[in-house]
Parts: sequence; C-alpha cells; structure tokens
Amino acid sequence: MLDGVDVNIEPGEMVVLLGRSGSGKSTLLNLLGGIDRPDAGTVEVVGMRVHDLTERQLTHFRRRHVGFVFQFFHLIPELTGEENVLMPARLTGGASVERGRELVERLGLNGAAERLPHTLSGGEQQRIAIARALVNEPDLILADEPTGNLDRTAGAAVLDTLRGVATGARSVILATHDREAAGMADRVITVEDGRLRG
Amino acid sequence: MRATAPLVGALARLRARRGRTLLAAAGIAASGTMIGTATALSFGLATGFDRAVERSDLPDVVARFEARTREDVEDRVGALANVEARSLRLEIEGIGLAAPGGSSREGVVQLVPAGRRGYAVVEGTDLRGEPGEVLIERGVAREWDLSVGDSLAVGQLGRVRVAGIAVSPDDVAFPLAASPRVYLPEQLLPSGFRDRGRSVNLVMLWARDPGRLDELLVQARSQSFGLENLRFTTREGVRALVDQAAGIVIALLIAFSLVALATAGVMLGASARADVQRRLETIGVMRAVGFTRAGLAARYAGDAALVAVPAAVAGLGAGALLASGPSARLLEILNELPPGAAVIAPLAGCLVAIVLLVVIATTWPAWRAASQPPAQILRGAELRHTARRSRTPAGPFGLGLRLALARRGRTLATAGVVAAATAVVLLMLAVASYLGRLQDDPGVIGKRYEVTAALPASSAAAVAALPGVAAAAPRYVADGIDSFALGQPVRLIAFPGDHVPFEDPPLAEGRRVANDREAEVGQGLAEALGVRPGGTLAVQLSSGAEARFRVVGIVRTVDREGRVAYVRSARVVAGDSGVEPEIAIRLEEGVGAADVRPALAELGAEPRPVGAATPRNQAFLGVLAGVLRLVALVNGLICLYVLTQALVVMAAERRSTIALLRATGARRGTIALVLAGIAGVVVALAAPLGVLGERLLLGPTTARLAAGYADLPLGAGVPEIVAVVAGLALLAGGATAWVARRVESEPVAAGLRER
Repeated sequence: MLDGVDVNIEPGEMVVLLGRSGSGKSTLLNLLGGIDRPDAGTVEVVGMRVHDLTERQLTHFRRRHVGFVFQFFHLIPELTGEENVLMPARLTGGASVERGRELVERLGLNGAAERLPHTLSGGEQQRIAIARALVNEPDLILADEPTGNLDRTAGAAVLDTLRGVATGARSVILATHDREAAGMADRVITVEDGRLRG
Repeated sequence: MRATAPLVGALARLRARRGRTLLAAAGIAASGTMIGTATALSFGLATGFDRAVERSDLPDVVARFEARTREDVEDRVGALANVEARSLRLEIEGIGLAAPGGSSREGVVQLVPAGRRGYAVVEGTDLRGEPGEVLIERGVAREWDLSVGDSLAVGQLGRVRVAGIAVSPDDVAFPLAASPRVYLPEQLLPSGFRDRGRSVNLVMLWARDPGRLDELLVQARSQSFGLENLRFTTREGVRALVDQAAGIVIALLIAFSLVALATAGVMLGASARADVQRRLETIGVMRAVGFTRAGLAARYAGDAALVAVPAAVAGLGAGALLASGPSARLLEILNELPPGAAVIAPLAGCLVAIVLLVVIATTWPAWRAASQPPAQILRGAELRHTARRSRTPAGPFGLGLRLALARRGRTLATAGVVAAATAVVLLMLAVASYLGRLQDDPGVIGKRYEVTAALPASSAAAVAALPGVAAAAPRYVADGIDSFALGQPVRLIAFPGDHVPFEDPPLAEGRRVANDREAEVGQGLAEALGVRPGGTLAVQLSSGAEARFRVVGIVRTVDREGRVAYVRSARVVAGDSGVEPEIAIRLEEGVGAADVRPALAELGAEPRPVGAATPRNQAFLGVLAGVLRLVALVNGLICLYVLTQALVVMAAERRSTIALLRATGARRGTIALVLAGIAGVVVALAAPLGVLGERLLLGPTTARLAAGYADLPLGAGVPEIVAVVAGLALLAGGATAWVARRVESEPVAAGLRER
C-alpha cells in the first residue's frame, strides 16, 4: 500500500495528509500509531523505532505517545461522554477526573459530559473523541477522516479544535480527502497510490 | 453438479468463519457427549434386565423348597396346567469353592438337567454332559479372575475345568449376591454329590400363557401341600429383588439423565440463537440484495445441519464410548447384559433430535428476523442505540458489566444455561453425597441405632443396662412373600415393642403400630400390593406359615425400595420359630462402638457398626460414584463451553470497542478484565439461580422420580455449593483468559475498520 514513504514531522506541527480513498493515508496513520506493522522499512516516532517494538512495547507506546481520532468516533456506547474521555487514563490506572473535566470544559462539552453517545450530535461525539485522544497528553494525535461523518459546520468546529491541539511538543497528523482542511495545516502532504508528494 | 453447488457454497461459508464454526461444532459435540453418555447409560440400565431375561430364557416361576424325591415333585408339577416346559433341579448350598483368585465356603452348586437352561452362556461353551466340567457365573469369574479353561475346586468333587461363563438375571451378581453359584451337569451326577440321591429342591416353570400366571401360581400352591420352606419367585419378583439391590440408584441415574438431556437442549438452543443474533447484520444485507425469506432460512438450516451432523455424531460416539465401561460394570454387577449394537437405535434418535434442535434453533430466529424490512433488521444488529445509563464503575471490569447488561436477553439466556448446568452438577454432588451417607450413616434410612450384636433376644435387657447404651431391643428380620400376590417379596422388620426409638421412617399416611396385629407398610410395598390403611397384609413366611396384619400406616423409606413392613415381633416369632434376632443398640451421645466393645464381649458378642448399605453394596456404590464423576466432568465442560461461547460472541460483536481499547493502550490483562466483567455478570446470575434451581426444583423432582416411596435428601449442602461456585468462577477465569488471548491475536487496525 505504501512505497518509499519518507516523512519527518516537527513537534507542534499540524500536517494534513491529502488523498483519495485507498491512497494509503489510513495505512500510514496506522503504521505511525503502532496499530499495524510495515512489511519492510522503518517507522520512528518520538525517537522510538516503532517497527522494532514487541506487542507489549507497542501497547505502552500507544498508551503514552499516541492519541487517535477516527471518522466514526468509536465512542463506547455504554459510557457517558466524560467516561469515554477518561477511559484511556483509566487503562493506565492514573485516571485524572480533573484532567478529563478540564478537557471537557476546554472543548465546550459540558453539556455532553453526563450523556450517553447516542444522545449527542456528531460534532459533539467527535469532540469527545478528541478529548479522549488528549487525556493521556500524547506527543502525537492521529486523526483519520475526523470530519468525514460530519456536516460542514460541525466539521469546521472539529478542525478548529484539532488546530488548537497542535501546540508545544504535540503534533497532529490529519488524514482527509477534504481540501478545505488543508487550509488549516502547517504542511500538506499528498498521498497518491502509496507515494507521498509535497 | 447442480446438486453439489449449495453444498460447496455452504462449506465455503463455514470455512470463511472457521473459528466460529469450530466453536459451534465443539459445543454441539460437547452436548452430544453429554447426551450420548446419559443415553447409553440409561438405555443400558433400563433395558438390561429384559435383555438378560430374553437371552437367558429366565423361567416365569421358580419354586424352591426342602429337597423331595424327583418322582414326588414330577407328580405335582405334572398336574399343573398352562406349563410349556419345566426343569427340576437340585441346588446345593454351603459348598466349598476355591480358585487361585478367591474362595468361599458358601458356594451354591446347581445340577442342571437336559432341556431349557434359565441362564445365558456369555463365554465358552454350555455344559455338554462331559465329566469334569463346570459352568460358573460371570460375577464369580470376574471376582476370582477365572477364565474359560481355568480350574476350580468344587467341594468333594475336586478340581474341574471351567467350560463356560454364564449369566442369569434371577439374582444380582456375586459378590453383591452373598453366594458364588456354579452349574454342574446332572446327567453325570458327580460322585462328590451322589449321597444327595435323586432328590430335587428347585423347580423352574415356563408358562404356555404368561398372562395367566396368577392361575398357575394358585394351582402350584394347591399342589404344594407338604412341601417345606416353599418359596415362589416370579419373573416380576426377580425384577423387584434386583431393583431392591440397585433400583434406587438406577432410578436416580435415569432421572439425572433426563435432566441432563433437558439441560443440553436448552444450551444448544441458546447457543444457536446467539449465533444468529450475531449474524443479524448479514441477514439484513442478504434480504436487501434480494434473498427470499425461505431461501435465507434454508441457507441457514443447511449450514447448521452441515455443522451439527458430524459434531453430534462425534459427540454421541464419544459419550457412548465413555459410558460403555462404567455401564458394562454396572450391568455385570446386576447380572444383566450390555445393549451391544442395540444402543445405536436410541443414539440415532438422539442424533436426529440434536440436529433438528440445532437446525430449528438456528433457522427460526433467522426466519423471524427475515420477516422484517431489511433496514429494520440492520438497525436490530446495531448496538449503539441500546445502551442505557449504568451506575457501575467505568473501569475495565465495570465496562465488562455494562457490555453484558447492554445485551440483557443474551446474558440472561447464557446465565440460564450455565445455571441449569450448575444445578445438574450440584444435584450430582448431592446424589454422590447421599450415596456416601448411604454407605456409612444408618440415619439416612431412618435407623436410630448405631450398632448391633448377635445375641439372643433374652440378652436385650442386659445389653440395655451396659454403660454407654441408651436402649437395646431384639430386631427380627423375616423375608416372605405376599399371600395374595405371590411374586411379591416382603420383608418384615419386627421389634417386640415400639419400633420408633430404633427405626423411625417418616409416616406418610395413617398412624404408628400400636399392637401385635398391626403393620406400618413401606410406600413401595403399599404401591406394589395396592394396600392402604385399613387393608390387610398377609405374608407367607419362609416356614410356610402365614402372618396377617391390619395396615394402619404407610411409611416413606428407601430400605429395599420401601418394600418393607414394620410390625411387632410376636406374630413373626409365632409363625417362624427359626427366625433369629439381632440386638439393635442405641448408644448414648458421644459413645462409639469401640466404647461398648469390652462389655459386649463379656456377653459373648462383637458390636457390628450399622451402615445404611450392606458391605456388599459398597462396590456397586463405588462404581456408581465413578459414573457420577464422569457425568460431572462432562457437565463442567459444558459450562466451560457456554461461558467461552458467550465471551467469544460478545468479543466478536464488540470487536471495534475492544480494538479501540487496544489502540488506546489496553494490555491483554485489561481486555481480560473487561471480559471478566461480562463473565462475572453471567456467573453472578447463574450461581444463585443454579443453587435455587437445584434446591427447589431439580433435587425434589429427581427425588420424586427416583423414589416416590421415600424422602430423599437431595438438596445440595454448603460444601457442595461452595465447591461448585468456586469451580464456576475458575471456569469463568479460564474462559476469560483464553478469549483474551484469542482477541489479542487479531490486528488492532482490523477491528477499527468496523463502525
């Protein structure tokens, strides 16, 4: 799917991967996030050689260094908004209610905190997913078509949120086929047939 | 080519979901094993007697009496009508038998004339009238490790060659029966027995019309004047005797098998329903692309049958194989014959039932689901709108609880099946515990005395006065037959006064005996004879005399399947002066048999501890305990399968949730905690349901089915409940660990591709 990809992303940078469906954007995100393995080559993220990590080390890597945002949100329907946000922190045993509440407040989700996902709008669900991705304070946020399932207004709000997240040491890589998203990026990389251009 | 196309398609579909198919097949095979075990055991035991009767050509009536000349007996038998064939024999008791593997001074030698035998030769050859040959019973062969061709020392006759091994279901096998029995040819009356002359003491009669057996018996009694110690036994009487030795445990086993069959049925149905529920989305898509409702149902039915047939065949075969050893041993003990190929018929019936059950259970939900518009079916497969708020903690275990509660119907069905299996395991443990107590605790059958002593009745007062003895009384046991229904054996248990201080079977109806003319009759005997309080019990004692009693009460007792009667001893002693009592001794609290041993020794007796079962029965009970353990093991596997299947189904259904957890850093341990939450809900529901089900439903029902004539305490006790609940938790832990490991092998990205 990917061939000869060589990309370097700086801390605090927001990079948009632009390309059609099946071009290899999601595969690249999966490799960077350590939820898939390359057949050949190397993947290095925050100084770690991800391709060499064992399953256990990969789990630790994902827990500490990566946050995911998906097109279909992947919120757990049995958990409230706030519980979904806190879920990754609970896995580490260091659940911080304050940190979760702070994120909920910062992202304007107070009204969604106590509600179950199916009662929330698509935009609210995606912003809950972004808060969840941030709760463990990762170095890298990987967002795969985060606006693909949202209307234009909600999509714009989500992109604004992601833009605000890319600060300090944290980078955001956003895969999309939405050319409007490219306008918010520090850098745009086009993916075509598994190769990068730009 | 056209006919094989659907088969090829079905095989391809099953291959595509190989893991799930194998798991479903494993479940069907496990249930098949359970049903196969239960069926093979039940069929073997339920039909063993009839099979042995047919093969051995057991006579309709056997009469035993003090030896008379052959001519005298010939004259009497010749006057009987409705006799198709007869065999007059001499049966000699108290003969010394010795083989390298064992010996007895209580051997019984039956001299067999030409003609019908009344036994079946199961190994070697029948007696051919040649000198120096003997036929031995199968129980003797097994107990003393004798084979055809070995030699056996028979009394003064010396060593003879074992020509064959025979089975006759007229009694249970040695050593459950007190005496080892062998057969010698009468034509060549061995010199060692010549001093007995040409007398006979046993007549076998085969009736021309067995339906008119009662008339034959009445006639036989009228011809028996002058015969001493005359005892008639009919085929039904033999059945009753065999049942007395083992009836209650066989009935328990058959009752248990029925329960096991019902449990397996529930489990198979629930598992199949869960499978279709998981595939609702596929059903919706198929309907959307144009599959008809019938076509879709047929497709599911075909797939289900393709999995069910081989799995059920394998399971039933394994079950029958597992049961064959213990079943054959039980049948040997009862002097019955194994079913052989005949068991294939009920197993084939089970195969049809299992396949039908799986096909119907799989097709019916698909058929129902397919009746709705495709969009609605697809919404039904979607879980997102079914979630409800929950107060459980939101950690991994709490999440598992919430996932289980989101699928209430499935969780309840799974818990119901595990509860049923748990209840069956508990029942089995309760039965095993009961059997254990039956071996050791006389109180189980209402006996309130702990030891007996072989002393004359006149010693009772002296024994009662011994230190540590609370009460003592002579206890008489007299075996006879009912005077009206001649085939029915009756055991009279008699004390000079009130029997309740020594034996206290619960009174089901009427009142206790108050004088010498009254009797309390066991429920089993009351049912067999059709007597109720106010009726008459007339017993022909072994002396030939008759003792009559007015029935005043019906008692519930397991002793000899309730075919006993409690009376005062006066009429028993008057009717049979030869009946010898033993002294029943109730000890004071805290006093053991060893404490009274010295004092009893001074009176000339050894204390004999009282058990509920005779020592000879203990081997039988041991075999039965083995059978119960086997069924317990199969049941435990069923529990494990149901729990595993439930977790696999849930993990597949919540694939994206689990993938998300893993993407956000959940280790295998965390996933296991989520799964443990799901299993925890199932176990938390199943354990109390199982305990209540056993105590309130299965236990009492089985007790009623097994022995309507007695109160069987088949409610599980605290130790059994603790053991079973702990076992259930362990099984849940095992299933959780296995499924967590399986889930981890799937790529995270694959799970995240699902919505």
